[in-house]
Amino acid sequence: MYYMGIDVGSVSTDVVLLDKGLNVVEEIYLKTQGSPIQSVYEAMKIVRDKYDSKQISGVGTTGSGRMIAAAITGADVIKNEITTHAIAASHTDPDVKTILEIGGQDSKIIILRDGIISDFAMNTVGAAGTGSFLDRQAERLGIEIDDLGKLALKSEVQVRIAGRCAVFAESDIIHKQQLGYSKEDLIAGLCQALARNFLSNLGKGKEIQDKIYFQGGVAANLGIKKAFEDLLQKEVIVPKHFKVMGSVGAAILAKEAVEKNGGMTSFKGFDILNAKTHARSFECNDCPNHCEVVMIYSNNQRIGCFSDRCGKYQNQTDVRFKV
Amino acid sequence: MEIKVGIPGGLLYYRYDTFINTFFDELEIDTVYSLETTKKILDMGVNCCVNEACLPMKIFHGHALNLKNQCDFLFIPRIMRCEKNEFICPKFCGLPEMVMSGIKRYDNVISYPIKMNRPYDLINHFIKIGKSLNVKEYKTISAFQKAVKKHNEKKKGIHDIGYKHNVFLGGHPYNIYDSYANMNLIDKLHSYGIGVITEECVDYKDKEEETKGFIKKPYWVFFKNNYGAGKYLADHGQIDGIVYISSFSCGIDSISVEILKNNVDHFPFLVIKVDEHTGEAGIDTRIEAFADMLERRRLH
Repeated sequence: MYYMGIDVGSVSTDVVLLDKGLNVVEEIYLKTQGSPIQSVYEAMKIVRDKYDSKQISGVGTTGSGRMIAAAITGADVIKNEITTHAIAASHTDPDVKTILEIGGQDSKIIILRDGIISDFAMNTVGAAGTGSFLDRQAERLGIEIDDLGKLALKSEVQVRIAGRCAVFAESDIIHKQQLGYSKEDLIAGLCQALARNFLSNLGKGKEIQDKIYFQGGVAANLGIKKAFEDLLQKEVIVPKHFKVMGSVGAAILAKEAVEKNGGMTSFKGFDILNAKTHARSFECNDCPNHCEVVMIYSNNQRIGCFSDRCGKYQNQTDVRFKV
Repeated sequence: MEIKVGIPGGLLYYRYDTFINTFFDELEIDTVYSLETTKKILDMGVNCCVNEACLPMKIFHGHALNLKNQCDFLFIPRIMRCEKNEFICPKFCGLPEMVMSGIKRYDNVISYPIKMNRPYDLINHFIKIGKSLNVKEYKTISAFQKAVKKHNEKKKGIHDIGYKHNVFLGGHPYNIYDSYANMNLIDKLHSYGIGVITEECVDYKDKEEETKGFIKKPYWVFFKNNYGAGKYLADHGQIDGIVYISSFSCGIDSISVEILKNNVDHFPFLVIKVDEHTGEAGIDTRIEAFADMLERRRLH
């Protein structure tokens, strides 16, 4: 009896298995690398090598690629990543009151009171304060992303970097680098800028109370954790499964959904891995909207469809999706 | 030869559509409209509008460009003021010039300044339009009066009933009612059992009352409407949350949203920013999470 949670994000695809008592027994973290179908397949293959289909009692998907993942696997529940992150955190520790989450393209702050979301905010159009931005800066400075946090902690001088926008930050880093600041100081400045920007954009007007959880891929970065602690003057906790909290939440919701449904899961089983799945997109010319419609095929049979505004292709599909 | 007037949709056409349609119909002038925003309209607008403008301005440019070669006159209202001592976004005051240089059409554009707070000016403005279209003055006056009457009789705004949750939907009318720009926001809210109330459904007096007590009298019309209505509905327990739709880079909203947020303490508040994005995943995620939050708060 295991519950599977799949979080398909812009940068990583995470899969977890929870046992009956909702303990994490498997934790898989793969790079999405621009092809969510591929990465879901890869992750599922790893699970199949250890478990058989009957052992999976429910599946939940989340993240920006949750629709594709649900189309492939036949999920019991499809949920947005704000709700799943909150559920996972309050399950891990019911006393959590604030969640800071930074992922690949999104960053969000969630305020919990008595385990219930009472407020949240998500970054708007830009991706400045997120993982992909850090990835890019690490690459530019010739540093492995995993070393970024450790290097930041070695800094002795605070360099101030403009944090509002990725383009501004980058030119500021280049200017300061040419003035001769060390890489450590630049990185520490970058972490500070990111945390400052996060708190002033998303945290504005919100009561940030203990306990504070910091989760998402960027929470691996000790430099940012420290920057948050310095700015908030409070302890910031990085939970054990910080990287996969979204999928943990999705798996918990899958359990709830299956129990409500009399114990039946709609999981299609690992046989789906034998089928060839691909996505095809086209521009529909039936009306002036020119939607870019995406269709998901498995063995040439249509299993999912999205992005048509009028919904006519979705209605034709066997599996119907409710957002 | 019949004169044809082109009327671009977008911007405040969403508020004054009945007035504008009735006025030109009563003048018995041929009209051609560009009303529905589509990807093509947006693309046309983006290509001919200054880059820094907000999304609704770009959409308006697209509608104007669409009509450029289909009409003898192009109607681009220059709204200077809606109410006494209040102002509107400066882009409205310079709209004709912006559009003319954008779509490269400089002649036969109807662009006389409109000051809605002065009835005398207002009627003169429309008499001028009538004159340039060779319509007799008495006919224009009667068309104007009929248009005003119809405008006043029209049911404005949205006040949903029978939904599980109710929210105040704030924002400028052209963001609220343009379902292309806002990616079907209202339908999406409905599908989660969330009904909406817009500012038109709150009494003018109530809105006015709510905006008293600031250190300075707020002079933006959009601010007063949205702040006043949102605050009134929240204080009177008529809503469970606020959804505010705002165009990226909107100056007035940057103030309206913050002041409203600060004055409705710990109230579920969702700000949706629209720009040229067409991917709907971002907006869907936010709406779904917001709906979950309303639902779990209700059960709690």
